[in-house]
Amino acid sequence: MSGPIRRSASVRRLVAIGVTLIVLLSPFLWLLQMSFKSNDLILQFPPPLIFTPTLQNYVSLWQGAFPASFVNSLMSASFSTALALILGVPAAYALSRWAGRGKHALSFAILVTRMAPPIAFTIPFFLFYRWIGLLDTVTGLVLVYTSFNLPLVIWMMQPFFETVPQSLEEAALVDGASSRIVFLEIVLPMVTPGIAATAILCFLYAWNDFFFALILTRINARTAPVAVVNFMNYEGWEWGKIAAGGSLVMAPVLIFSLAVRRYLVSGLTAGAVKG
Amino acid sequence: MTKKNSGHKSAAVSRRKLLQAGAATLGATLGATAFPMPVIAQAKPFAGVTLRGASFQHRFFTLLQNYIPEFEAQTGMKVDLQLSAFPVYNQQANLELSSGGSAFDFVNVTFILAARWVAAGLLANLDEFTGDPNLTPAEWKPKDFVEGAQVPYRDTKGATYGYSWEGGAMVMGLSRMDLMEKKGLKIPKTFAELQEVCAAINGTDGVTGLVSFQLHHWCLPPYIQGFGGNIFRNPPTDIMPALNSPEAIQAIEFYANLLKNYAPKGVLTYTEDQARQALLTGRSNIFIHSSAWITPILMSGDSKVKDTARVVRMPAGPVRDFPAANSQGLGIPKNAKNKKAAWEFIKWALSPEISMRLVKEHGHSSVCRRSVIESEEYRKLNTVNGQDLGALYLEVLGLPAKGENYMAYRTVKEFPIVGDVLNKAFEQVATRQLPAQAAMNAAQEQAIANMRRAGTAL
Repeated sequence: MSGPIRRSASVRRLVAIGVTLIVLLSPFLWLLQMSFKSNDLILQFPPPLIFTPTLQNYVSLWQGAFPASFVNSLMSASFSTALALILGVPAAYALSRWAGRGKHALSFAILVTRMAPPIAFTIPFFLFYRWIGLLDTVTGLVLVYTSFNLPLVIWMMQPFFETVPQSLEEAALVDGASSRIVFLEIVLPMVTPGIAATAILCFLYAWNDFFFALILTRINARTAPVAVVNFMNYEGWEWGKIAAGGSLVMAPVLIFSLAVRRYLVSGLTAGAVKG
Repeated sequence: MTKKNSGHKSAAVSRRKLLQAGAATLGATLGATAFPMPVIAQAKPFAGVTLRGASFQHRFFTLLQNYIPEFEAQTGMKVDLQLSAFPVYNQQANLELSSGGSAFDFVNVTFILAARWVAAGLLANLDEFTGDPNLTPAEWKPKDFVEGAQVPYRDTKGATYGYSWEGGAMVMGLSRMDLMEKKGLKIPKTFAELQEVCAAINGTDGVTGLVSFQLHHWCLPPYIQGFGGNIFRNPPTDIMPALNSPEAIQAIEFYANLLKNYAPKGVLTYTEDQARQALLTGRSNIFIHSSAWITPILMSGDSKVKDTARVVRMPAGPVRDFPAANSQGLGIPKNAKNKKAAWEFIKWALSPEISMRLVKEHGHSSVCRRSVIESEEYRKLNTVNGQDLGALYLEVLGLPAKGENYMAYRTVKEFPIVGDVLNKAFEQVATRQLPAQAAMNAAQEQAIANMRRAGTAL
């Protein structure tokens, strides 16, 4: 390929990347710049792009009930992710190694809970939780998110376990290792990228959930997404706080995703190319 | 020595304490004269009760929370008031009430949900409390609540399921009277004049003729009724939708033309704040909405149009003069555990005394007690640039009681279904997707189908 043609291809690629970045990032950047404006500036028309930024929205968030909601979100998302992984990973391993007749029927049954829309489960959960006193508790949220994430873990982890050669396990067993050691020390380290990718998806689901949190919490266990909506007051929306809250809600997912990016890429693309 | 000193000190403290106590008693007596305490049934009859209540966040409750310790001290009960955002509260309260829950002892009866909650029997009949002199002394005066604000909280037989704490009277705000005067324009009093003023002002000095917001089923009915139409044929008895009547079609065309020709671009998606901001900054000349959203052009520190603004009655239609009115109320869930304690709270929170304190101490004007709104103190605080806002507020809020109950469409539990359809139809007309006749014919069919699907026999 000659120089000018190669340069032209590079320019085209750069333009494509630029356009993609603008499309992808503009909503986030718009939200972020709003979070540093006062309500009056946000509602000004045309919207000013150059302005004196203020931290007032973040300060107000810090002084209000938002930090507690943020902690509730962190706890419910982290604990439910951990619980789903603790229960789901061994289940996925067992299913991957089981060659019985009911395997497909069982796998399908596990997935059923992910097929119905959340609204179908919300009201039963609400009534049941009210009955047993789990309404407005982080424990209640953790259990709901776990029940929804469990099928995801089992379904996502099965193919990863299937890629681990059984001969490795057999060799370890022959060498005298117990089944528990084989699972923990031979198999599990080989599916780490899969666990990371699955954990991210579980965390994202629980972290971003609005509907269950809206219905099953009141004040004590209110999560960050519901707390952000709580700035939509009857007498007017607190746009600045909504933007600041929204920006903060994005932060942990961003940090978590960046931290496990290496595993995430390999985990999500595993098995995409055969041979 | 030490003992003596100590004794001396103790006597001094004791005297100080006595003086403080005396001053506190005197202060309380004087305070009681200035702002008499609301009548409470007995001394500490509810000691140990924790009263749970919920509402959406509003200045009324923020202010009320300052006084709640006084109520707790008088009654012995503890008030746990949960305040959430408007959409969050409505969702949670709707679910709690409709599933027969008893988590709350008192709730806000939201205007848009009132008809549904009352018709479904989710709230306690408050006439049982007001009708019992042991529970409600005569001084509380249930009839003192402005009749228009009470409309949403009554069932078809006239029983009361809520008392209003906030009223909204539909009025017209004009931000640029200076521009209007330059052009020799007068305040519009009819729909035709409204259109003329909008046309004359639109584009002058970068100002649009008017502004509105996305809740069309609130903004539009006064136009439909003004042209002689209605949402239902004859609510609350005949609830057949009347969306494709010639009058309704004429109204929707008129209102859509106003927005298409004289409002800012994107007005169909404007929130109330955006519209208010356009009025407050003088970017739009006219905004017709509840008084609470319009009066800030005269009373808010943010207003840039204080000297050039006016707040007046909305224009009358060629057939009728029906500005809308809304209110928010307090009620008791049917399954509440502490109904009497809840009534004690409602009685206290909406007493003439607390209402007057809110007006005097905080300038909170959207109370619903006629005696308070008509008081000299209220008039003084709410007369701005020579405009008696209280009189205007009372006049509009009192209209449903003066004959034809034109707000009856809001007492029908099917209104939200028809209101949603109306919103969509209006957007189709305003965005020129469909002509008014076709949109409203389709809306009529859709409204009937949706109502039947929801179980309404038509």
